[in-house]
Amino acid sequence: MKELELVILGAGPGGLAAAVEAARAGVSVTLLDENPKPGGQIFRQFRDGFQVTNPSMLGHDFVRGHQLLSEFDRVRDRVEILDNSVVWALSEGNELAFYRGDDSYSVRYKKMVIAAGAYDRPVPFPGWTLPGVFTAGGAQSLVKTQRVLPGGNFLLAGTGPLQLALANQITNAGGRVVAITEAGRVENWFGLIRGALGQWRLLGDAVHYLYGVRKAGIPLWRNHIVVEARGHGQVEEAVVAEVDKNWRPKPGTYHTVKVDTLCVGYGFVPSVELTRLAECEHRYEPLLGGWIPVRNDRMQTTVPDVYAVGDCTGIAGSLVAIEEGRIAGLGAARRLGHLTSMEARGRMAPSRQRLAGLQRLRKVLDRISVPRPGLYELAKDDTIVCRCEEITLGEVKAALADGATDMKEVKRMTRMGMGNCQGRMCGPAMQEIIAREKGLSPDRIGYLNPRPPVRPIPLGVLAGHREMQT
Amino acid sequence: MVDRRVEKGVKRGKPFEIEVDGETLVAYEGETVAAVLVAAGRRTFRWTEKKKHPRGMYCGIGLCHECMMVINGVPNTKACQTVATPGCQVKSQHGLGKRSA
Repeated sequence: MKELELVILGAGPGGLAAAVEAARAGVSVTLLDENPKPGGQIFRQFRDGFQVTNPSMLGHDFVRGHQLLSEFDRVRDRVEILDNSVVWALSEGNELAFYRGDDSYSVRYKKMVIAAGAYDRPVPFPGWTLPGVFTAGGAQSLVKTQRVLPGGNFLLAGTGPLQLALANQITNAGGRVVAITEAGRVENWFGLIRGALGQWRLLGDAVHYLYGVRKAGIPLWRNHIVVEARGHGQVEEAVVAEVDKNWRPKPGTYHTVKVDTLCVGYGFVPSVELTRLAECEHRYEPLLGGWIPVRNDRMQTTVPDVYAVGDCTGIAGSLVAIEEGRIAGLGAARRLGHLTSMEARGRMAPSRQRLAGLQRLRKVLDRISVPRPGLYELAKDDTIVCRCEEITLGEVKAALADGATDMKEVKRMTRMGMGNCQGRMCGPAMQEIIAREKGLSPDRIGYLNPRPPVRPIPLGVLAGHREMQT
Repeated sequence: MVDRRVEKGVKRGKPFEIEVDGETLVAYEGETVAAVLVAAGRRTFRWTEKKKHPRGMYCGIGLCHECMMVINGVPNTKACQTVATPGCQVKSQHGLGKRSA
């Protein structure tokens, strides 16, 4: 079986930066990603067919992504790119299995960097399965790189700066944003500005987005939350309420807003199924998005050949991911014998310095974006919490009453988390909701254990599975 | 018919037709099946197995599987990750979906 010197899973900011540094140091790098082109979610590139005529219309991230992508272009001939490839298993002996189109392969690696990224935090509330309810990131992907508006009249609900960015993108694209509800407290916005001092680029973005929202005359309802989406077969209106500091709706403040599209963004959840499969140790860190792999300052997990970087190790954004990626790429190059420890340390120094600067901002972002308890009290007994298997909160509560003590038992008794998304949509919120039902902290009720295949794979493809030789 | 395509900032590739539940929709090179449907104002991509509820696109990045449709006869195909091709046959998926000719 072929053995790769360094395999990097994910070609977003963290994975690209790791590839750049490792390739420059002389490592032979294999970069594996499920998309047709590198860039990940934030620096997502257009598919062939689209021609960009005005990059400034497409936002700061698009322009910034180009800087990293052009750095990557300069080492591209030294990197093996496996695009459209999905990892479905990691096993002992540094072996990984992935499929690409109709073929499935096993391959070995010496070192691995996991840069799996994150996804929008799914939060169950009445009506959240209606067509017309999108995650903020889902709506953004349509507007940004398919240049399609997912609706006519939008309500953006959630917390944090992504909402402001999305409001700008929708407005610039000709869509109508009826309002933005921000669950967080007003003071936090000032905190954001204060914490961002010294990070002018990001401060600039936030001010720019806020200015855009004001200029478009979009009402920004602070301390408000969407409690329900309603409609026959699709979203026709949303119910909004003012909330207290724990995001619990205040009686007498409910009102409805006529919209056809609801974009919901309560921050992000780290994608940890790959670090779980690699049997890295994890800890629960609500401020960083939930379960995250334990690492040392060289980005090494508790499994020595496995590094992890970027949002899959705790939500911190693309700038942090890039610096972590560089450090992991250099660290792997050092361990593979391509750099002396002094060379590695020297090349890591600028990244370490930039990371220290980003820490302060990260702390403030954490404080605004961490969901408050009220968010996990929106689902009613008849609300579907597991979208794939159509399991309601009531069914989960019944399983708990029948003696289920942790996430895995609820999964076995109800099928919650057994569907196509493999628990990615229900897991994060249910970790919090079940913990509350049990009166335990979320890290005491286990977790939904990802099992191979961690992505649905057609049986025919699996049947043809073989070892990669060259 | 609604067309929710945004012209600002990009130039689209060649147009062609695809068939969605018997209806002809215009697609452009590089567009995903989901984008073609969304551009035409279409919300429902499938109906669920147990409760027969309508579902549409949700996460947009290939994780949630809400946008599963029968594309060129293959059920459980994620519309948000599938690039439309000329003459592509798309059908709403009912429940677990059946392979069709």
